[in-house]
Amino acid sequence: MSRPTVVYEPPALRHIHPIAALRGLRQFLDLFVTLSLHRINVRYKQSRLGLLWAVLQPLAMMVVFTLMFTLVRANPGGPVPFPLFAYAALVPWTMFSSGLTSASSALTSHASLLTKVAFPREILPLTYIVAAVVDFLLGTLVLGALMLWFDVSPGWPAFWAVPAIIILIAFLIGVAFLLAAVQVRYRDVGLAMPVLLQVWLFASPVLYSLDAVKATLSRPLYFIYTINPLAGIVETFRRALVLHQAPDYGSLVTAAIIAGLLLPIAYVYFKYVELTVADTV
Amino acid sequence: MSPLDISVQHVGKQYRIGAARGKTPFWALRDVNIDVARGTSLGIIGRNGAGKSTLFKLLAGITAPTTGRIVLHGRVAALIEVGSGFHPELTGRENVFLSGSLLGMKRREIASKLNRIVEFAGVEGFIDTPVKWYSSGMYVRLGFAIAAHLEPHILLVDEVLAVGDAEFQGRCLQRIHELKAQGTTNLFISHDLTAIERLCDSAVLLERGEIGATGAPADVVATYHRRIIAHANAPGEPVAAALKSGITVTNLATQDPAAPDSVSCRSGGALAVSLKYEATRPLPPVEFELRFYAVDGTTRIATLRTGEVHVDVPGGTIEFTIASLPLSPGAYFLGAIVRDLASAKALAWWDGETRLHVQEGRARTGEYHIPHTWRHVQADAGERTAAGSVRSKPAG
Repeated sequence: MSRPTVVYEPPALRHIHPIAALRGLRQFLDLFVTLSLHRINVRYKQSRLGLLWAVLQPLAMMVVFTLMFTLVRANPGGPVPFPLFAYAALVPWTMFSSGLTSASSALTSHASLLTKVAFPREILPLTYIVAAVVDFLLGTLVLGALMLWFDVSPGWPAFWAVPAIIILIAFLIGVAFLLAAVQVRYRDVGLAMPVLLQVWLFASPVLYSLDAVKATLSRPLYFIYTINPLAGIVETFRRALVLHQAPDYGSLVTAAIIAGLLLPIAYVYFKYVELTVADTV
Repeated sequence: MSPLDISVQHVGKQYRIGAARGKTPFWALRDVNIDVARGTSLGIIGRNGAGKSTLFKLLAGITAPTTGRIVLHGRVAALIEVGSGFHPELTGRENVFLSGSLLGMKRREIASKLNRIVEFAGVEGFIDTPVKWYSSGMYVRLGFAIAAHLEPHILLVDEVLAVGDAEFQGRCLQRIHELKAQGTTNLFISHDLTAIERLCDSAVLLERGEIGATGAPADVVATYHRRIIAHANAPGEPVAAALKSGITVTNLATQDPAAPDSVSCRSGGALAVSLKYEATRPLPPVEFELRFYAVDGTTRIATLRTGEVHVDVPGGTIEFTIASLPLSPGAYFLGAIVRDLASAKALAWWDGETRLHVQEGRARTGEYHIPHTWRHVQADAGERTAAGSVRSKPAG
């Protein structure tokens, strides 16, 4: 067995190298797998409906909004039935919102563990994100069933859903690292989360299409709107699967750039906070 | 000289304590230098709040130092509390995998050691039962068994050796001797000075975050005792520790119920020991432990336990009553510990000097007094000539 050399020094941002941190993470791959399985198991172990809960949330929202738009006699879905239009966006949105809610409090909810055992702390938020991705996959199965029901078949643009989801997961990890680290010092983050996610839902093209935004807003305002990476991601996912359309490239590229910049920055900041998290958590 | 596996260089650690964070900076450690050579064992002793646990957390990588640096060569296993990361809903088997991987073990490694771990812990029949149904003893034994089967280069142990019954403690010590024989570098933090003397090649005394003495364990332990006696229970010191655990032992006093004003008691006579505690918040059930030490302050003669106690806020008193003290005449020291009942983790220690002077009573010579009765059995006249009991005889 080789002897690793470990050096502990006072916290300094310049000492934190994301690549070295990833190498340390690799040694704890088994913990990551064990904890991820644990998240999925424990969450549904004592509930009657079990894994059904994974799809109930987007389904319930779909029903509520369908009723609402039926009452006001509007159909923002255009050519597709509104339930399908809404559900195709609610599935990735739910992954983002539920993943962010649990992952951003991953450090503060494990205070006793953090003060007693040393391990790469990013494993905690990441395992919650794994659970959210599993829920997303189940939600996608239900989306497939809905498409059969409404007789909508996927076309060749469906493959665009894959890069959209990869960008979404990268963005989710970045935001979760950032908020989990900030929440160690400022518990306000946890309290602000429901409000933040509610505003974020309506600021993203979940219940309306991106084209409707483009038609309404001036060019600069539209650009500001698409700085929200969810705009390009959610729109691309829906277009790919139920509308058979190519993505709106501009907003998708914006999303990819923001997610790609945020993730390494958030990771370095997280690793910096990690060094003293046991003192403040 | 063999290489250094642990090197602590000018290490300091600052905490900010108090209700409003950032108000009171407090140095838990200051300019600490410690070297541990490969294959040797170091013991860290010191009073509550001296910085032992802080040093341990720095070595374990749980938190980073404020100044200085620490260099470790080898795979580290750090035991701060048994059963860390156990989830009550999961079975014993699932928890072995969870806890083992938290300590850095691979799933395959855990799977290959599972049988040995289960056997070591003595929970064979319950391995597929959720641990919430375990007794606290089983819980603690399983937690320690996982850690005992890590194969680290460097083993750090913080006060977890005192878990389980005597038989289990024996098994733990044997396992530590095995690891030592394999060349593991060890660092122990303990209040059990006997264990430090027995297990360690050298020792360090921490005092208020600084190194007070280093050297051979017996010398450092002796220094520790001289200092304790010199400033017995200096006021205000254990504050930081009490903030964390929520309970402190504020006094430990003895009394001979037959002679309330006397400072001593008699061998074979009655003895009452009262322990005063203060609690800052309601706590899960605890257990109080009263320890008798020989005059050297290290040899533990006896341990009395209370069982489940629900502490009162802001404080209360525990009275131990001994009907017939079996100690022979001489001087002794008393110590006390408060443990969390479920985890057996020590929450507070009595570090003050409580001496017990035992005067001649029924026992005059020998190691201890054995309560007894006697009678004179004669060959033909039956058994009525001379019979008695020491109980009825006034002591000299």
